[in-house]
Amino acid sequence: MSKGIPLAEALARYRPDAEIGPLPELTGIDALLNTHHPDHLRGSLVKLAVGANAGDSCQRELAGLLQAEAFIDEADLAGTPVTDVDVLVIGGGGAGCAAALEAAENGARVLLATKLRLGDSNTVMAEGGIQAAIEPDDSIQRHIQDTLRGGHHAGDPALVATLAGDGPEVLRWLISQGMQFEQTPSGDLHTRRAGGMSTARLVHCRDYTGLEMMRVLREAVIQHRSIEVWEQSPTVELLSNELGQKCVGAVLTSLLDGQLRIVRTRSVILATGGLGRLHLNGFPTSNHLGATGDGLVLAYRIGARLRELDSFQYHPTGLLHPTHLAGKLVTEGVRAAGALLLNGLGNRFIDELQPRDVVSSAILRECSEGRGIRIDDQRAGVWLDTPRLERAQPGLLERQFPNLMSRTSVAGVDPRLEPLLVHPTLHYQNGGVVIDASGATTVPGLYAVGEVAGGIHGRNRIMGNALLEIISFGRRAGAAATASRDRGPKKVTLEHVNRLRRALTLAGLPMTQRAPQVLPTYAARGAWNR
Amino acid sequence: MTTSNATADKNAQQPGVALTINGLAVNATEGMTLVEAAWHGGVPRVTGVGCLEGVCGSCRVMLRRGKEVTVGLACQTFVEDGIDVIFLPPASAPQHHYELGDFKDSWDIHARFHKIFPEAARCRHCHGCDNSCPKGITAENGVALAVAGRFREAGEAFFECIMCELCDIACPELIAPAHVGLFSRRITAHFHLRPPNLIHRLEELRQEHQETSRNEDSEE
Repeated sequence: MSKGIPLAEALARYRPDAEIGPLPELTGIDALLNTHHPDHLRGSLVKLAVGANAGDSCQRELAGLLQAEAFIDEADLAGTPVTDVDVLVIGGGGAGCAAALEAAENGARVLLATKLRLGDSNTVMAEGGIQAAIEPDDSIQRHIQDTLRGGHHAGDPALVATLAGDGPEVLRWLISQGMQFEQTPSGDLHTRRAGGMSTARLVHCRDYTGLEMMRVLREAVIQHRSIEVWEQSPTVELLSNELGQKCVGAVLTSLLDGQLRIVRTRSVILATGGLGRLHLNGFPTSNHLGATGDGLVLAYRIGARLRELDSFQYHPTGLLHPTHLAGKLVTEGVRAAGALLLNGLGNRFIDELQPRDVVSSAILRECSEGRGIRIDDQRAGVWLDTPRLERAQPGLLERQFPNLMSRTSVAGVDPRLEPLLVHPTLHYQNGGVVIDASGATTVPGLYAVGEVAGGIHGRNRIMGNALLEIISFGRRAGAAATASRDRGPKKVTLEHVNRLRRALTLAGLPMTQRAPQVLPTYAARGAWNR
Repeated sequence: MTTSNATADKNAQQPGVALTINGLAVNATEGMTLVEAAWHGGVPRVTGVGCLEGVCGSCRVMLRRGKEVTVGLACQTFVEDGIDVIFLPPASAPQHHYELGDFKDSWDIHARFHKIFPEAARCRHCHGCDNSCPKGITAENGVALAVAGRFREAGEAFFECIMCELCDIACPELIAPAHVGLFSRRITAHFHLRPPNLIHRLEELRQEHQETSRNEDSEE
């Protein structure tokens, strides 16, 4: 990408008080998405050959992992220590903690196993907020409509109705767990309107909403008498019954001692999050280090159906500079507060509060058509005009976005004085494991909640629905998994792995690659050896 | 305008920086964080890394510059010539136990706090917690506010806390300042956050639900 306006030239041209021309009219949204959205890049999709989604379209790198060899054999299970619990929760982010807390409250003995540290997740980085229809001019129905429209009507209306209907109760539950929110002077919860919302519905805790949520839930989990936590314990395989048709546990390893451990259980709740660290299509990512799509791989191998495997969210405003924060987010809240996007010519080119896929595609269009700001041969971006926002509302950045200010100040950048260079970054997996309103997958005994699950966000998630989803569906799955009256497994096997191996052989697929990935290759040295 | 954006395009040729990480010599380039340097240098078994943007509190490191020893977060610290870096092990389980569900009444919170955190009142003002905090939180003052029962203000002092628990290690009285801060925040929300707009909507939904189930009953 050698096109674009050199940085020095664009900087020389930039003025926070410059007159800005009118916004060009937005026509042909479909054409914009089809031409510029990374989901539509040529060669980025393949058809799955084996499994519950055989014949479906899937992103190429993800397909490689879904149709890969497992790490373990029956022989590995002999002599492996066994732990019995009622409910196993895999994943220590917001969804996993909500599921564990609800299951424990319903009387289950819960084991929560997480790959890294408890709370080390994308939840903790969520800045913007959580949606709930609580304002007088708002309604559950409007929340449903906005969510379906934002997802290009690909979402499951029943799941979306469940999500939106749970909004107010989720806030009450979070407050009872001890989570604080921003209030107005009269004590109401403060709401903002963000991209894709027809009215103000975003409740937040300054720009640390996810951190506040995560530290509260983390503490609640640690303190709970009925929840045991295993950290640094990635799951390498699920376990099935003799027929390979029901999930009855999992095989975990340890990043500390490398020891395999078997967990036998009545229900497994997958809450493993997304896959940004696979860097699909070569994009940078906003995700934390553990987001390697493990849950999708585990679920697919045991036979669960997945959906929208060709649809990912690229957040419009990932930082291009400073380098160590490349791909990290500037929250959409900054645009919601009024910050504009400008190209290298100093012009607006898109309504900043359009849904994320539209705004991202517009930025990619500016860059590929030579109106981006180029910092080297590979990288170009556009301005997020924070100085203009500061001029219009002095003090706002410091008051409302301390997280942004603190992160940029480490690198000597002051968003009040200079515009931020941004470029779309791989942010969210729109689809995932098919679930019902209780988080149950198509495999008995297996639940999936949070980003690993699909069907709510259609082909594009709008802001604030992820934090709502993890609590709403996390709690539902926790309760449902506990209610199951199953007496528990008699025998745990890897029958589903054998089944997949046969299918891979029949399809003539190579079994050279192993999955799940657990850590990105650049961070895996000595921690996680195949 | 002299801005850091102007330095963005000269990242390619940076001078080398020599440091040690977990005892191994690493040659990094200027502008790398300690996490990037650990990956770049192939340092094995660095598993305490998470968000890479200073909010998850996982990548705790001990740093030695000459005779000066400090602590910090590896993803927020840049490489320096001659610095020795040790990635610290994960924090051990907390020593103070409570469940909010057990608290039925907010009048006895002050008494309960001192039962749960008996060490808090014994703070010897050594500034260990303040000095170890990578976010610059005035933890010592926060603890003093909690000891005085001023939980809202105490919680506010810990607003930027990322639960790295470095202050817990630094405290010679084992006060666990990070958990005192979180207790203060949670108590404040649990007992005092009662937003009218949320309560109104919850009540509307409750009545709707009642209406629906009454209609269903009468149909049967």
